[in-house]
Amino acid sequence: MPKVSMPRSTPSLDMTPMVDLAFLLVTFFMLTASFRSPEPVFVDPPTSTTDVQIPKQVFLVTVDETGKVFIDLTNPAVKELVLKDMMKEFKVSMDSQNVKKFSGAGPMGLSMQDIPRFLALEVSKREKIQQGGIPYDTVNIKKSQLYLWAYNARLRAHDDFTQRKFLAKERGLPFDKENYIQFAIKADGRTKYDVLKHVIQVFREAKVKNFQMITGLESKPID
Amino acid sequence: MSEIQSVGNSEKGGKKRAKKQSTRVDMTPLVDLAFLLLTFFVLTSTFSQPKVLRMIFPEKLDPKNKDIKQPEVKDGLTILLSDNDKIFWYRGALNAKTVLEETDYTKKGLRKVLVENNLPLLTQLRAFEKELNKIDVKDTASRSAIDIKVKEAQRDSKLVVLLKNDDKATYRNVIDVMDEFMITQIAKYFAVDEGMSGLEKKLITQKIKI
Repeated sequence: MPKVSMPRSTPSLDMTPMVDLAFLLVTFFMLTASFRSPEPVFVDPPTSTTDVQIPKQVFLVTVDETGKVFIDLTNPAVKELVLKDMMKEFKVSMDSQNVKKFSGAGPMGLSMQDIPRFLALEVSKREKIQQGGIPYDTVNIKKSQLYLWAYNARLRAHDDFTQRKFLAKERGLPFDKENYIQFAIKADGRTKYDVLKHVIQVFREAKVKNFQMITGLESKPID
Repeated sequence: MSEIQSVGNSEKGGKKRAKKQSTRVDMTPLVDLAFLLLTFFVLTSTFSQPKVLRMIFPEKLDPKNKDIKQPEVKDGLTILLSDNDKIFWYRGALNAKTVLEETDYTKKGLRKVLVENNLPLLTQLRAFEKELNKIDVKDTASRSAIDIKVKEAQRDSKLVVLLKNDDKATYRNVIDVMDEFMITQIAKYFAVDEGMSGLEKKLITQKIKI
């Protein structure tokens, strides 16, 4: 029998479909990915079996293990307004560029008095600096900065809500009523409860009664 | 792998022709890059959004008002959280004769206690669930009728659970207990943020000493 000779050919492969697919996936993940905003602290929240999604608009209070408090607002426009209110209240001046930067920068835990000093630093050094947390006072709650943040945020967010509602009505667009500001607390599992108690007290003083505790996901037990 | 085919020397002829080059491009680096990016985005994208646990607290009361007392339950459970992940609980109203029971965060600890105490509501809910499974999915009228029954059962539930803690407990403890309430479907529970009363604290220290 004659030898079966294998056809000599380079083992070439048409990779075009593979590349197509790979880039399709890359595009998909790129577009869907929402990058986490840089967090000044690492917080490991406890898990629970609840399946309620985090609301769209939140005033987020992050409490780290040592009890430092950081605040964030998901709507940068509202955050900017609140920041301006706070600047007026504490007589801190900042140019509009910096205000914009601050409102887009994720959670912040600076006392209003520290902001000018923070801004004086170089940008590269700003990330490294340990933010001391928003001061809160348990005796004189109504004068504490955390209270003022929460209070102003509630007012501004409400204004924003009514304005959007009005605009939607005027243009005959559907309006998402669920898109109202919610107050949420995200705390590290090891945080002592008394810090949270103070935060909750501040919230209650600011007439926020209803809030969300952010937790990780845990599977439901089968009984 | 795909390769670029080299084209032979074509300068022999008099006419100068444009070089006939293969349109094939070596795509290996491209694929490498694409997959690198793909891996990066797959790994960094967060699929699971964080979940939230809803809590409602009453509006701040005037501290000058002396009439406000610590909430009390006659027929209910009070759960006390303390440091080192300890949980104590007692039934009914607090008085000098109250005996604290200690439990833990495991399935056989707190959950068992809560299930035992919430048994009337749980059996009711179980029955409703069975009924609901029998009904056709499209039959929304009878489904909502059962929903109303469930709500009524939850409203009429006699068990009230209070959660108190002495500031030394951690946030995780509180969330874990709240989660346990949800798992055991307790209809009425409250987190008391005024903390424990003196007697309760005393009882705990006594309990720990033993």
